[in-house]
Amino acid sequence: MKFTQTLILSLTACCAVLFSLSPAMAVDGNEILRQVDRNMQPETYEMYRKLINIEPDGTQKEFVLYSVKKGANKVVALFLDPASEKGRATLRLDDNMWLYIPNVGKPLRITSLQSVVGGVFNNSDILRLDYGQEYNAVDIMDEGETYTLTLKAKTASVAYDNLKMIVDKKNLLPTTIECYAASGLLIKTLHYSKIKDFGDGMVRPSMLETDSPLYKNYRSVMLWAKIAKKELADEVFSLNYLSRIGELR
Amino acid sequence: MTVLAPRLSLAAALLTLLGLLHPAAARSSDEFSFDLAAFEKKPLEWGGFAEIKFEHMDIGQNSALARLNLYDQPRADLERLSTALQLDGRYSRDSMTVNWVVTATAQQDQLAWADTADIYEAALELKPSPSISITAGKKSYKWGKGYAWNPAGLINRPKDANNPEEALEGYIGAEVDLIRSMDGPLRTMALTGVALPVWQGVNEDFGEENHVNLAAKLYLLYRDTDIDLMLFEGDSRSSRYGIDFSRNLATNFEIHGELAYIPALQQSVLQDNNTLASRERSALSTLLGLRYLNETDLTTIIEYFHNGGGYSEGELAQFLSLIQDGYTEFLASGSESLLDQADLVSQRGYGRAQPGRNYFYVKLTQKEPFDLLYVSPGLTAIVNLDDESWSLSPELAYTGWTNWELRLRLSLTQGDALTEFGSKMFHNKGEIRLRYFF
Repeated sequence: MKFTQTLILSLTACCAVLFSLSPAMAVDGNEILRQVDRNMQPETYEMYRKLINIEPDGTQKEFVLYSVKKGANKVVALFLDPASEKGRATLRLDDNMWLYIPNVGKPLRITSLQSVVGGVFNNSDILRLDYGQEYNAVDIMDEGETYTLTLKAKTASVAYDNLKMIVDKKNLLPTTIECYAASGLLIKTLHYSKIKDFGDGMVRPSMLETDSPLYKNYRSVMLWAKIAKKELADEVFSLNYLSRIGELR
Repeated sequence: MTVLAPRLSLAAALLTLLGLLHPAAARSSDEFSFDLAAFEKKPLEWGGFAEIKFEHMDIGQNSALARLNLYDQPRADLERLSTALQLDGRYSRDSMTVNWVVTATAQQDQLAWADTADIYEAALELKPSPSISITAGKKSYKWGKGYAWNPAGLINRPKDANNPEEALEGYIGAEVDLIRSMDGPLRTMALTGVALPVWQGVNEDFGEENHVNLAAKLYLLYRDTDIDLMLFEGDSRSSRYGIDFSRNLATNFEIHGELAYIPALQQSVLQDNNTLASRERSALSTLLGLRYLNETDLTTIIEYFHNGGGYSEGELAQFLSLIQDGYTEFLASGSESLLDQADLVSQRGYGRAQPGRNYFYVKLTQKEPFDLLYVSPGLTAIVNLDDESWSLSPELAYTGWTNWELRLRLSLTQGDALTEFGSKMFHNKGEIRLRYFF
């Protein structure tokens, strides 16, 4: 009887230890990625960004964009400044991207590897969807205060074949993302910083710096000034609406 | 000389101004800030650009169009100084918006002074919901997916294939736009209906007067492919139908195409006795194109255009022969009758841009070669595949000064005397254009 009680207690203790350990051992990379996405931006929102391209001699070229996003796969950005770009709008639906130039008067298809602003940011950086929409987490490493996620593109039409994302465990926000081509070539590195409270529970980095071995001594910076939830109709994300995006502000 | 003197002082002033504006002198801070208050939305927003352009043109001494236009004042070259101003803006209040685009140009060369002032667009737009908009007024239509040409642009004004990104004057009409987004293979559907009247003083250059014409475009985003179905019905022009598509095959590769069909196209045709006759025939036009970005940031746009409503190589040669005959007659007797007839023939269709049947277009743009920031060299070629004449335009654009754009362009044409590009008035043209956006 005593042996049986001892056995049951021992088994119960083992089970308790195993169950208590299992969440840490089986951390789901895709679940971490989902939380990173939600912490970085609401599913449906409007935001204002400034993009700054910095040349090796320190001179800068700035762009101001107003963007709206809905769900996991719809995003549009409107250039507010400089005057030479004002009124240009870019739309992304899944992997489809278009650029509307007021004088041209009709949307032209563009590709994710092009850049409408020059510098280190390309179109997929400017019209970024949720990471989980484009990538699967194929590996996760617990590095103490951070996780390192290895993300693999779901399709060949995604701009970067794989990402190495370092996520701060405490707030589940990315700090550094390395972007690689299928060949293993490092295309660029993104550095998030300056965590800020944008209101409505949105606490996230307000600055993104990027550099690239392909653009030596050039840097690009993205600053966020406002991110707010906004109800949007699906029809806003269509070619026919691109010339009217400014009216959403 | 009246052109050259102000040109030199103007160029010096511009260079001084550009030197003062160079960002390196003023901006090297590594501190970043973003003041959102400076970008708050205002009910009235406006902008535009001002430009100044100088052109030097070598006139083809034996070219047909030089003889048609300059038979009584022949010269070897021409220099032209021109300016342009474009103002665009919008006033928004609740669900109502008024949009406008106004342009003014002025130019002086050794032959004449010319100026224009036009309202390109001025329209009132009502949006009771994001899926519905109603527009009335003057609006420019840019239907079709082609870069240099749009045969399926049934109510477009024709583009200048050498400057396809410039604004074009619109037509006065009324438009209803309906958008529907959905899940599934068909992601977006949008229907645009346009009523386009032609009355005295309203859209007179569109076609026959005293008719109200209707045009419609159905846009579909189906399985990641843009598809447009278009039709035009009315009595100002004959009925016509169009379809186009555009699709990305890879992250750096796009293809597009257009097809337009006109069952009963009316056009003027030059007869053997140098008179004009009217002919009716069906015309099928097609365009196929691609856009490709390679690893070195070289963008290539290639298009093939079959202009079903164009003139054959023989018909164009007949028109150019009429000019040459008229010039010979003018030299021999001083009579301008044949040249006057050639001028009429030119206005009735033979003189329009790209009047032939088959064309090839290629545009190459290299972004910032050799680490030269904001410098984009380009090369545009247009070939008439029937008479094998062509134009070639290398250019260099610099956009390093915020809100300024400097473009240098050279245009060369080549072909036999009785070919499209061989008959152009200007065989070589050099151009420098400075544009300031505000």
